[in-house]
Amino acid sequence: MLKINQLISGYGSVQILNGANMRVEKQSIVALLGGNGTGKSTILRAASGLIRSWKGTIEFDGEQIQNLPAHEIVGRGLVQVTQGKDVFPAMSVTENLKLGGFILKSKQQLSDNLEKVYNYFPRLNERKDQLAATLSGGELQMLCIGRGLMSNPKMIMLDEPSAALAPQIVLDIFKNINRIRQDGLTVLVVEQNVRMALLLADYGYVIKDGVINVEGDSKKLMYDESVKESYLGGTKANV
Amino acid sequence: MFNKLRIGKKGENIIFGTFVLLYISWCVNSPDMNIESLKSVLTIGLSVGIIYGLVALGISLIYTGLDVVNFSHGEFFMIGAFAGLTMFNLLGNQDWIFNIFPDAYGWIIYVVCLFTAFVSMGLFGVFIERVFLRPLTKKGGGYTVAGMGIIICGFGLSVVLINVAYLIWNPVAKPFPAELGLPMEIGGLFLPITYIWMIVVGLSVAAGLWFFLNKTKMGLGIRAVAYSKDVSNLVGINVPLYISIIFGIACAIAGIGGTLVGPTYQVVVFMGYIILMKAFAAAVVGGFGNLPGAIVGGFTVGIFETASSFYISGSHKDLYAFLLMIVVLMIKPTGFFGVQVKMKA
Ligand SMILES: Nc1ncnc2c1ncn2[C@@H]1O[C@H](COP(=O)(O)OP(=O)(O)OP(=O)(O)O)[C@@H](O)[C@H]1O
Ligand SMILES: [Mg+2]
Repeated sequence: MLKINQLISGYGSVQILNGANMRVEKQSIVALLGGNGTGKSTILRAASGLIRSWKGTIEFDGEQIQNLPAHEIVGRGLVQVTQGKDVFPAMSVTENLKLGGFILKSKQQLSDNLEKVYNYFPRLNERKDQLAATLSGGELQMLCIGRGLMSNPKMIMLDEPSAALAPQIVLDIFKNINRIRQDGLTVLVVEQNVRMALLLADYGYVIKDGVINVEGDSKKLMYDESVKESYLGGTKANV
Repeated sequence: MFNKLRIGKKGENIIFGTFVLLYISWCVNSPDMNIESLKSVLTIGLSVGIIYGLVALGISLIYTGLDVVNFSHGEFFMIGAFAGLTMFNLLGNQDWIFNIFPDAYGWIIYVVCLFTAFVSMGLFGVFIERVFLRPLTKKGGGYTVAGMGIIICGFGLSVVLINVAYLIWNPVAKPFPAELGLPMEIGGLFLPITYIWMIVVGLSVAAGLWFFLNKTKMGLGIRAVAYSKDVSNLVGINVPLYISIIFGIACAIAGIGGTLVGPTYQVVVFMGYIILMKAFAAAVVGGFGNLPGAIVGGFTVGIFETASSFYISGSHKDLYAFLLMIVVLMIKPTGFFGVQVKMKA
């Protein structure tokens, strides 16, 4: 579904990604792990067109998408849910979700998708007329994921969906990620919560200094010494 | 240390209220104060106020959407007035319009002029944004990062546009003799009917903008872009296009403002500068970046200015707007509706 080939990118003149390679198979869940500041979010930003790719290719659904305008990448069915739980705080939950379906042509599709998202996250339905600014952290994360699903994407990239959330909510969100995959989507999930991510994912990549350091089946990675090692450099994660 | 000097929201309101009361009692004590003059003050104040409000609306719209203050906005107002006038001169000689609508041709022509100013300034704004402002954002980070450069570019643009207008239309003030009906008597003064046009058309434009922003899909997109370019990008909004649309709408509204003012005063190359200043004051008074605040601020500045020149002294008319702005900045720096500025749109 998504193939990243020798990707080089960065900010201004600072190079962050030094030739990253990744593959995400259709309908799989792939985890992208790594310490703080190793370039995980940068890969997602390049894939969704928020920053330029300097070199290398990004292939989505059989077509090269590197350096397409961000809104066109969304149009092709690749959606990113950012790290910061970025919502539109002065808008209601429903308005936020409707913005997620901005590219949809028909009203019918919009309300169908709204129904679908409320089905994944009933909490959002209870809060639908509330301003997004007043939601709790967990609800915000649900809103962000829900908004990502509104445009009928083929693949969704989640940047640290479990960050700063209580274990109960994390479990709930991860269950929903699994459900999303079962409903036919492909998922790339960036995580600090290594154990949870590997339990959920089929395959994992560990990034270090802007290149993929280790990769493999998630069951294998879970017992891999070097995975633990990769984490010793960065912030200690709960491996 | 200065934290101790802060008086809080309630204190601000009390002090501001005291100022308002003092001002009102000053006006009431004026020998010219009577119901009749009050009527004229309100009519004139509201009509020039809505013009300030319309231009302020554009400045605020650009500020919320693009994070920059457009200092060339007065020039779109001025060129808009010329656009309307040009259309007026084209249609004025056309007998067939008169033959078809013998009773209503004056205002039909005027509506066409307003529409011309709206559309042409909208397109002109998009052109200016694409050709002169957008390239400044090439280094990345969009308008938010390129801000200071764009603000300075706005000043330069203002000078250039004035001089281009000077070349095309020369500096002589031109009449805009729209035939909209006889003057009406309000409060003992004979006021041109165009004052009513200003209020009615101005309020309709403001209401139309409100409807557009809050009830249409494109409006939802504009509010999203105003809050965050990145998140808007990620939900599939064509952000570069929307930035042009925001700029274009703001300029189109300024163009309408110019054509509304034309028949009452005159159309002249230098009319943009003072309007920009007054509109700026209106935006500050209403709460910078707040759209309803821009209109309320416009009315406030308009009425304050007119009342002061009636009841206090007529020889310093252009001073009052800035006086009000300074007082508001000192006592209530957020303006009337400034609280919501951080949340935007
Ligand atoms: N907008 C930016 N401008 C300049 N440098 C940036 C920018 N965003 C990130 N960086 C730098 O790029 C590097 C990688 O950042 P990135 O956000 O990809 O890290 P990450 O792996 O997602 O880390 P985290 O787990 O903390 O989210 C960091 O050193 C960071 O300082
Ligand atoms: Mg990150």
